[in-house]
Amino acid sequence: MGKIQRKFVVPGDLIIRADIRPPPNTYRMGDAIYSLKVGLSEVEGRNVRVIPLAGKYVPRVDDLVIGVVTDLNAFAWIVDINSFFPAYLPASDVFGKRYSPEMIDLSRKFDVGDVILARIATFDRSKDPMLTVSGPKLGRLNSGHLVKISPVKVPRLIGRKGSMSKMIEQATGTRLIIGQNGVVVVTGPPDKIPLAIKSIEMVEREAHLPGLTEDVQNFLSRKLGVKPSTIAPYQGDHE
Amino acid sequence: MVKLIDKKNLRVDGRKLDELRPIKLQVGVLKNADGSAYIEWGRNKIMVGVYGPKECHPKHMALPDRALLKCRYHMAPFSVDERKPPQPSRREIELSKIIREALSPAIVLEEFPRTAIEIYVEVLQSDGSSRVASITAASAALADAGIPMRDLVAGCAVGKVDGKIIADVSDIEDKEGEVDLPVAYMPNLDLVTLLQSDGALTKQEFEKAFKLALEKCRFVYDIQRNALLEGFMKTRKEVE
Amino acid sequence: MSAAERKHEFVDSMRREQILSELSFGRRLDGRKFDDYRPIEIQIGPIVKADGSAMVKIGNTTALVGVKVQVGNPFPDTPDEGILTVNADVLPLASPYEEPGPPDEDTIELSRVVDRGIRESHMLDMESLAIVKGKKVYAVFVDVTVLDVDGNLFDAVSYAAVAALATTKYRKAEVKGEEVSLSEERVQLKPKTIPISVTTAKIGEYLVIDPDGTEEAVMDARVTFTYDSKGRLCATQKGGTFGFTPAEILKQVETARLKAAQNRKILEDAIKVAKKK
Repeated sequence: MGKIQRKFVVPGDLIIRADIRPPPNTYRMGDAIYSLKVGLSEVEGRNVRVIPLAGKYVPRVDDLVIGVVTDLNAFAWIVDINSFFPAYLPASDVFGKRYSPEMIDLSRKFDVGDVILARIATFDRSKDPMLTVSGPKLGRLNSGHLVKISPVKVPRLIGRKGSMSKMIEQATGTRLIIGQNGVVVVTGPPDKIPLAIKSIEMVEREAHLPGLTEDVQNFLSRKLGVKPSTIAPYQGDHE
Repeated sequence: MVKLIDKKNLRVDGRKLDELRPIKLQVGVLKNADGSAYIEWGRNKIMVGVYGPKECHPKHMALPDRALLKCRYHMAPFSVDERKPPQPSRREIELSKIIREALSPAIVLEEFPRTAIEIYVEVLQSDGSSRVASITAASAALADAGIPMRDLVAGCAVGKVDGKIIADVSDIEDKEGEVDLPVAYMPNLDLVTLLQSDGALTKQEFEKAFKLALEKCRFVYDIQRNALLEGFMKTRKEVE
Repeated sequence: MSAAERKHEFVDSMRREQILSELSFGRRLDGRKFDDYRPIEIQIGPIVKADGSAMVKIGNTTALVGVKVQVGNPFPDTPDEGILTVNADVLPLASPYEEPGPPDEDTIELSRVVDRGIRESHMLDMESLAIVKGKKVYAVFVDVTVLDVDGNLFDAVSYAAVAALATTKYRKAEVKGEEVSLSEERVQLKPKTIPISVTTAKIGEYLVIDPDGTEEAVMDARVTFTYDSKGRLCATQKGGTFGFTPAEILKQVETARLKAAQNRKILEDAIKVAKKK
């Protein structure tokens, strides 16, 4: 195993001179790879990765997202997914292909203002993203506290195999529903929700720093008055 | 006639010929904008907010293969000695275009078809070379927004006063001097994206001034880099 | 707000490839070499009601300039100097992409670049245009009407403005007590220098002077250099959404200087002939 070289990069910074395909958030010019974003570059031999520190959510097929219904017409709900285009949830996804618009009032299923958990069904640059709610646990979220974080921090909030989010959930007794688009819904005992939210904010603030897991662990243990060892990062499988 | 350079080769504000005014640049200063930057360059005070990529309005202006880049350079009425009426002047209209064209080469617009990226430059106080300061801040704001860019764009204006080539032209040097030559440059791609001049320059003077401008742009680039580093790699602070 | 708008013919990718291919052989679509101008036609004095006028055609691009000199108040920060105003109007009939209305950002840029070429070269002795210092001065209005657009408005408009100013005969002001009026006696406006602009377009890696309409539609960037009679660079304007390398700038500023000298001769000859009449 080679050593991972980690560096802060800005757009235009040289990352590596290698004959490789440019990974996301980089571009290639000549025989070198350059960064397109402000972020952290990780170089291990010929393996290159740039973790961006900012950026809007770019929809990807199969991503789990949390959105808010902002409008509806006879054929679809229009959903704000915190990206640069609104997403559409076609009525046919819920009512089947042969539904008749005159017979069904879409607002009976999801109304303006509803928060829904969905997956990105299709997206390409020429069309707005399409959502689907056919799948386990997808659909309207009825209660909870909605928090928005920068989408680039979502992987850190989830953690390896869900370790970070599970740790927060177990320590506070709350449940975190995390959308890849940076929207998080927190449910659970009202007296513990603020603590969960503060933990989420801490992750967002310090996502780029090493030792974050320990930091969150120490913060939670301090606030709950328990030993840090009782707030172990989740080691098991994440479903 | 105002004497702009004294016997010791120092300028009106005490600077050496190739010395820049103090520059302070911060990113992430506005809550609502997707990206933002604030720059103090000498007595220039400029705020930049970036929104986007976002839906393009009006829709008919959207481009099918790339983002539409929009830019507004505006001076606050109290930003200059004589109060400036708030409506856009012809100068602001030209500068909005020039600044947009200086930043456009850096942005990967093809990544976001049918969207718009909006850059708002507000000059709160102006003291010479505001356009290069604006471009410098706007680049940082675009990076702050996480918009993909091939390079940062750094700017600096050079000039000629009392027959001598100087770096970083202040307001009085622009008004009373002979030449003002603003430049914006992408150091990694080696591309000049803004170049203007007014005032007479011989071939040698132009070459000297132009090369000095590029050297100073590289210096400004380092300031942008540090501002982004500080803005993003904030160290821990105590949370109670 | 400045936004990129398509204001020229939509050029398909085949055309751009074709242009680039020709350029790789050192040729332009109309057969010109990289540094060649299209035929330049200068007509001086077509508008007799103006104090000075000129129509310039570079290829099909046609610009008509009328100069009017009136009496006005000086600007507060230059009380002893006359006023120069350059205003361009690209007529809707000049191009399918022009709409009637106030000048857009391209037209404003055009006016300001031509203005700077004249002003920064000190073509006019602004102090000699004062009538009563601090109170009344000559106001020189340079109004530009573009009649046909086929690339390189900067040079066509600039040459027309310079030719019109160089042959302007304005009515001399008479001061009678508090009143200033224009008499019937006419005075020649004497230029101190003849500023000449040269515009270059960058297409791919090639630099071509005097881009025509099609070349402008595919160009990546352009730069206009303006020189005075002593060959000094007096004004520069880079435009377009791409960039130039420093090497390209240093090379082109010299190439353009030589072209400017050639075009100055053309303009000066036309001015000389017009003055004889």
